[in-house]
Amino acid sequence: MAIEGLQEASDGTLVLAIARYHEEALAEAYRRHGGAVFALARRLLAEQSLAEEVVQEVFLRLWQQPDRFDPERGSLRSYLLAQSHGRAVDMLRSETSRRRREEREARETAEGGYDIEREVLDLAIGEHVKEVLDRLPSDERRAIELAYFGGLTYREVATRLDQPEGTVKSRIRSGLKRMRADLVDAGIGGVWTES
Amino acid sequence: MDRELTHAEAADLLGAYALDAVEVDERDAIEQHLNECPRCRAEVADHRTVASFLGSAGGRAPDGLWDRIAGSLEEAPPELKLAPVVPLKERRSVSLRVGAAAAAVAAGVIALLGAQVVHLNSEVDKMSTPERADTTLLRAATHALADPQAQRVSMRSPDGSRSAEAALLSDGTGFLVADDLPALSHDRTYQLWALANGQKISAGVLGANPRVVAFRYAPSGLSGFAVTNEHAGGVTETQNSPVVLGTLQRT
Repeated sequence: MAIEGLQEASDGTLVLAIARYHEEALAEAYRRHGGAVFALARRLLAEQSLAEEVVQEVFLRLWQQPDRFDPERGSLRSYLLAQSHGRAVDMLRSETSRRRREEREARETAEGGYDIEREVLDLAIGEHVKEVLDRLPSDERRAIELAYFGGLTYREVATRLDQPEGTVKSRIRSGLKRMRADLVDAGIGGVWTES
Repeated sequence: MDRELTHAEAADLLGAYALDAVEVDERDAIEQHLNECPRCRAEVADHRTVASFLGSAGGRAPDGLWDRIAGSLEEAPPELKLAPVVPLKERRSVSLRVGAAAAAVAAGVIALLGAQVVHLNSEVDKMSTPERADTTLLRAATHALADPQAQRVSMRSPDGSRSAEAALLSDGTGFLVADDLPALSHDRTYQLWALANGQKISAGVLGANPRVVAFRYAPSGLSGFAVTNEHAGGVTETQNSPVVLGTLQRT
């Protein structure tokens, strides 16, 4: 590919160029998605240095293993965010981070500023996505928020909400299906294949 | 979780799995199921796309972070590659001048007058515009380029301004990425030549504007690839100088 065409390149073309060791292609992927990858990791880990570590790992992995991205299974953004989320959750669940988080939660609770629902409402996500999330039955929405933004397992969510594990598991799944249908209905269907 | 999940059990966990909200043993069991179940794989992809909208908070990454990533690329070459894996521009460059000593094998072969040419009846599958590319072909080419078992050839033009890359898998399937080559007029075509056993063997007529191409090349003894500019329809043997040329990277 002509390097000057990178800005218009599709996900698949971009990743193919990365497989050919075109650093400019990786830079373009970072330009498009680096901010979102960082923001998600930062949100989960609440510590900038750890979030930066996640971003580095995610893009280094794309450089080393570009073939792990399958354009038929979703956009590059979706892939990178899933990688960022997975790595951030791994860190979150590590012993050291768990201790740090407990300390942070204790501190924030003491200061009265920590409110995960408030944080979710403050997210700079698109209006459609906010609306779709808000339209979910509250039990489904709460389970998804705690799992995705809180980094909790569905078992931990069940304990937190004092609900049966099986119920939480099902609500996460049905909530995600409902959101997908709503997003498509809201005219965001085109983004499913967008870079 | 020591046993295999039933489809229903796995399906029940897919939402939580897609949000990284399962225990490690459950994750392993689900992934085992996903290897065998395209329907569940598709559902996970859908869930992850939804999740990516939740996670698309946007914003800017901190200043200087890209520089650190770019810096670490040189320190951490792709670990799966057995062939030299430095970035393309830094790779060992083959002779850029036909007949020059540094590329003796390939250059010598391509310059041989009257060399016997075997024209393979190659089935060439190409696409003209990568932006509207068949993702399957792109993905297959990406896989091939990342495959440590593939024979890989980086080709350069004599003046160094053009490049193309080929990867040949052990089953004889090859991929050529030639989107750096300028489009030709309609009465011309690019043609791919395998350099093997003292011969140049046609590995495919590529058309006037090849981008990513799949080809077949089964014979052994490959020492390099070259691309020439021929009249439309291709030729069974060529005296033309290669547009790009490269030798096989040894592992």
